[in-house]
Amino acid sequence: MDLLEYKAQEIFAKYDVPIMKNTVIDSAEGIAEKIVEANLSYPVVVKAQVQIGGRGKAGGIKFADTPEEASDRAKEILYMNIRGHIAKQLMIVEKANPVDEWYLSIMLDRLTKSPLLIFSPVGGMDIEQVAKEQPDKIAKIPIDIFTGVKDYVIEYAMDKTGADKKFKDQLKAMVEKLYKAFFEYHCMLIEINPVGVNADDTLIALDGKVSIDDSALYKLPDILEFRDKLQEEELVKEARSFRFHYVPLEDEGDIGIMSNGSGLMMSCIDLISKRGMKCGSGLDLGGGATAERIKEAVRIMYSNPKVHTLFICLFGGITRCDEVCGGVKLALAEQPANKKVIIRMEGTNKDKGIEIINTISDRVTLVNGIPEAVEALWDLRQ
Amino acid sequence: MSIILDENTRLIVQGITGREGRFHTEQMLAYGANVVGGVTPGKGGQEVLGVPVFNTVREALDATNANATVIFVPAKFMRNSVEEAIDAGIPTVMTIAEHVPVHDMMYCYYLARVKGVRLFGPNSFGIISPGKTKAGFMPHAIFKPGNVGLMTRSATNGYETIFLMSNAGIGQSTAIGVGGDMIPGSMFVDLLPDFEADPDTKAIVLIGEIGGSEEELAAEYIKKHVTKPVVALIAGKNAPKGRSMGHAGAIVSADGTGSAASKEAALRAAGCYIAESSAHVVEILKEIL
Repeated sequence: MDLLEYKAQEIFAKYDVPIMKNTVIDSAEGIAEKIVEANLSYPVVVKAQVQIGGRGKAGGIKFADTPEEASDRAKEILYMNIRGHIAKQLMIVEKANPVDEWYLSIMLDRLTKSPLLIFSPVGGMDIEQVAKEQPDKIAKIPIDIFTGVKDYVIEYAMDKTGADKKFKDQLKAMVEKLYKAFFEYHCMLIEINPVGVNADDTLIALDGKVSIDDSALYKLPDILEFRDKLQEEELVKEARSFRFHYVPLEDEGDIGIMSNGSGLMMSCIDLISKRGMKCGSGLDLGGGATAERIKEAVRIMYSNPKVHTLFICLFGGITRCDEVCGGVKLALAEQPANKKVIIRMEGTNKDKGIEIINTISDRVTLVNGIPEAVEALWDLRQ
Repeated sequence: MSIILDENTRLIVQGITGREGRFHTEQMLAYGANVVGGVTPGKGGQEVLGVPVFNTVREALDATNANATVIFVPAKFMRNSVEEAIDAGIPTVMTIAEHVPVHDMMYCYYLARVKGVRLFGPNSFGIISPGKTKAGFMPHAIFKPGNVGLMTRSATNGYETIFLMSNAGIGQSTAIGVGGDMIPGSMFVDLLPDFEADPDTKAIVLIGEIGGSEEELAAEYIKKHVTKPVVALIAGKNAPKGRSMGHAGAIVSADGTGSAASKEAALRAAGCYIAESSAHVVEILKEIL
């Protein structure tokens, strides 16, 4: 999951990475007072806290020289809709005056299966753009997890990119702190962009991004608490409370796909799309669902008002076909008659599942394979 | 022949007294797997389904001379169990659990390589050499002994394809769930040399999906070193960008890296057959076998 900027800044501060003084607000009341409380000096920057890039261009970042201006700008930005993301919180931060801007990150690299250090003395913009336009200004170095951040790693990064070596010790200290945070917070990415180079020759983290492995959240109570407060699609949240993985797909899609594995789910989506139909949402049941949970899964799928037909594709090992069919029956009893289900199932207790389907055959079509299911979906729309 | 596992494999089950461990040990025994021991700390001296239980892997190894382990412990204990297995000197380690923290796996990946251990999974159905043995939770009734080697990131896509293959009379030499996570212990490129060298494998099926670049790496290897026909199926052509599809590893990044199109292009250029669906995999196999 991606953290908001203020949470990333909190993590930097926790590991002694220098940051600008800031305060986070979620109400338009008493903004000037909060700025005084946090001991900020003007000018300040008012920044929307949203999980999406490009907020500056969308008007989500503004400057203020006085308390009145800060208050006015905050009122403009709070609850602003930035491409579907509502700014429920703002970060107000002292405006920095760097003489130069660098880039620094550590990401978990799938290719080398290592933490990958990325450094550039060209910062403040998208690192992909730097990679394209000034490839000699960017160093990417996989770090050996058994040896860690060594002098030669920093030396190489700075030599390769022509960075001023007088910052070597400071940069190394910053990388070491980031590296520690990377492991302790199970990061997929921890990024400082830009690293501000101040006139007094100090380095400071001016903006940052932290993305954390969802599978490790159970080890990180502060992040779990943060996640629970986040704005997320309601259906995703609700599905997660039943241990399902819900994926919103195409806006105009009218077919819902449910499967007991994400691979099979993706394959079904591929074949349906190929036939010229569109899927609105997908749900991965995972293994071993009971009828009661299946009922909730079906209800969640139909909560997307565009979805009229549900295609359930099962290859049951741990998941039992009769539990699934029982759950579908319970759920359909609460849905209007125009909501249909197509089921394709193989595996444990298939026969018992078929018996259940036979009692609701006006609503449910049982098919033998995925290609047949795609044709049945096609026929239903005609 | 087969790869990784065969009738001589002496298997232990870590987490044998747990619900999943016990259930699948029963399944493995029913399939004829030579399960020689189990490990659960604190339960040494007990028996599960006639299989002796030990407190530690080292003890199990001393008593049984096992040469492979399958780990049925929950995700949060996986790293510890892999460390113990590798430390005890078991050469083949299979992990099953879903939702293993990727940092844990990154560490296990390197530990295994440094110690020369073959590590598989996590988030995998395990490995089966049909007719000989199995280690994992795959529904073995759908498999059939034969001469197609199969490796898959997704368990369900693997089942679907194997089910259709077996129904069409096309069996498998060995089928391997490499797993759906970002860092699998072994990937396609690690297994291609085994299948290429196995005299009983006549063709190879590779089931990939969006995310990462393992299919591209496989393509590069196939181009240079693989003489056997390879049929590839890539899932997730219509997945939205920047959204994980349930498998931690199945995500196309915002810049398009990891797309199905890039993988298919690389595999096609390497001379692989590209299948559109599981059914299409079978049609292609019928033609080339």
